[in-house]
Amino acid sequence: MNERFFRQGLLAVALAALLSVAAGSGYAGNLVIWIAIAAVLASTLRFVLLIGELNFAVAAFFGLGAYASGAATTLWQLPFGLSILTSGVVALLASAAFGYVTLRVKGPYFLLIGFAFTEALRILYTRSEWLGGNSGMVGIFPPAVLGDYFPTFVVAVAGALILLLARIEHSHLGRVFVAIRDNDSVVRSVGIPVHAMKVLCFCIASLVAGVAGALQAFSNNVISPLDFSFMLSTFALAYLKVGGERHALGPVVGAVLLVLLASVAQRFGGSEQIFYGAAIVFGVLFMPDGLTGWLARRRTARAKTALPSPAGEMQ
Amino acid sequence: MITTDTPSIRLRAQGLSRRFGGLLAVSDLSLEIREREIVGLIGPNGAGKSTTFNLLSGFLASSSGRLQIDGHDVTGSSAETISRHGLVRTFQHGSMMRTMTVEDNILIGAIGGMRGGSRHERARRVRETAELVGLQHVLGETAGNLPHGLQRLASIAIAFAPRPRLLCLDEPLTGLNQTEVASVLATFRAIRDRFDTSILLVEHNMKAVMRTCDRLYVLHHGQLLATGTPAEIRENPQVLAAYLGNVNVD
Repeated sequence: MNERFFRQGLLAVALAALLSVAAGSGYAGNLVIWIAIAAVLASTLRFVLLIGELNFAVAAFFGLGAYASGAATTLWQLPFGLSILTSGVVALLASAAFGYVTLRVKGPYFLLIGFAFTEALRILYTRSEWLGGNSGMVGIFPPAVLGDYFPTFVVAVAGALILLLARIEHSHLGRVFVAIRDNDSVVRSVGIPVHAMKVLCFCIASLVAGVAGALQAFSNNVISPLDFSFMLSTFALAYLKVGGERHALGPVVGAVLLVLLASVAQRFGGSEQIFYGAAIVFGVLFMPDGLTGWLARRRTARAKTALPSPAGEMQ
Repeated sequence: MITTDTPSIRLRAQGLSRRFGGLLAVSDLSLEIREREIVGLIGPNGAGKSTTFNLLSGFLASSSGRLQIDGHDVTGSSAETISRHGLVRTFQHGSMMRTMTVEDNILIGAIGGMRGGSRHERARRVRETAELVGLQHVLGETAGNLPHGLQRLASIAIAFAPRPRLLCLDEPLTGLNQTEVASVLATFRAIRDRFDTSILLVEHNMKAVMRTCDRLYVLHHGQLLATGTPAEIRENPQVLAAYLGNVNVD
């Protein structure tokens, strides 16, 4: 069943990459890029939820990744691949330090610290002249080789990252993460270093968020501090809540749906912030497990009515 | 100062104390558990049994005293470290992951005890452990949905999956019917006989404790009141007074 999941996942990523070729590099291409990045962000948020924590610092590590690529490309003239690698490493190291200190607290405290860290970093960017201060950094271009295929590249990388997270979730390590959320005392009692495992989970998610930040910097060519405020974490939460957090596909479904709807809403002059807020409220009230959860429940319900015998109720 | 221990002593606690504000929950407690011994820790409610368990397993730091496992000084060590030295404990309430399957619950125990083991080796350990405690037919069930008796067994399976040399069980028989009690006690003996495991039990079921334990420690008001074989304890006037006194208060 696991293997089937990954085969289907790879197929889905390949299909999405092909579709993105059709979208080209215009407005549709940008939309595709944003959907891919949004899906990665929401997936990392879900990944940290495996240990039971809501990671509002996701925007901070996304921003660190974007700024790392910005600095690597424009200040240090590093090649494209190395810039992306720098983003991942910077996010990884920063999250190791941040996670080590903050993951000793749980729940609302951890959430608030993440929120504060995100805003502190944003203000730090505005005061850092070498990073362009308030106006940010310009001229972060992907290599010309990619040309019109840059959206396809982003979709492929995003898909690979999401599959990587799903793979880890299905491994024994992933089982340890979920066990920590469920009952960390028992996990500790059998000799598993709970704190180190939580930091590891956080680091994996932040590494991925950092690479997503790099993709964002290269696709926008311009970054500024305001792109990385806590609102971004809220958006990621909206994608996750609407898509559903039970299944690894949830964040992807949420990202596709909300980004597309938001682009429509913008055309009518609607404010996307209000739109995302309403989506969270609607999702939590009417679809507690999101769209994927709702679909799964409908499928079980249909299976039950189709086969009312006791044998049919065995899932 | 290095004390040379005969290897047969699994756990040695010397003068353990723990103070909560003005309350001395455990005071100057010394105890020893030897290889292949099943030891009972008994006492009226509030005697300090749970605190003792937390002190021995590193879930609570002692205010004073020393703790040794197999001759290693583990005083002040974290719960994870103590567990890796071979002492694994269960909890009185909900000693498992309720949302996970029984198989994954036992797997967590196996992962804890088998650093660097392969996926395959862990799976085998899970199967072995499940068969040992009699859970092989419910491996796919969600642990939280199991009947109470099987949940107790699951928590024992999780704790034994790392193959600890000393298994500390906090009220493992509570809420079990007579048949279940008999089968769990048989499991304890099987674990002891096959794996040379020592077992420390906190338990209120006196009949079971008297029948199964090699030795007992009796706690009262955080202090060691008596120690000895079940037969000796049964006739100890101080122990009788402590228990009867407790009944009178109720």
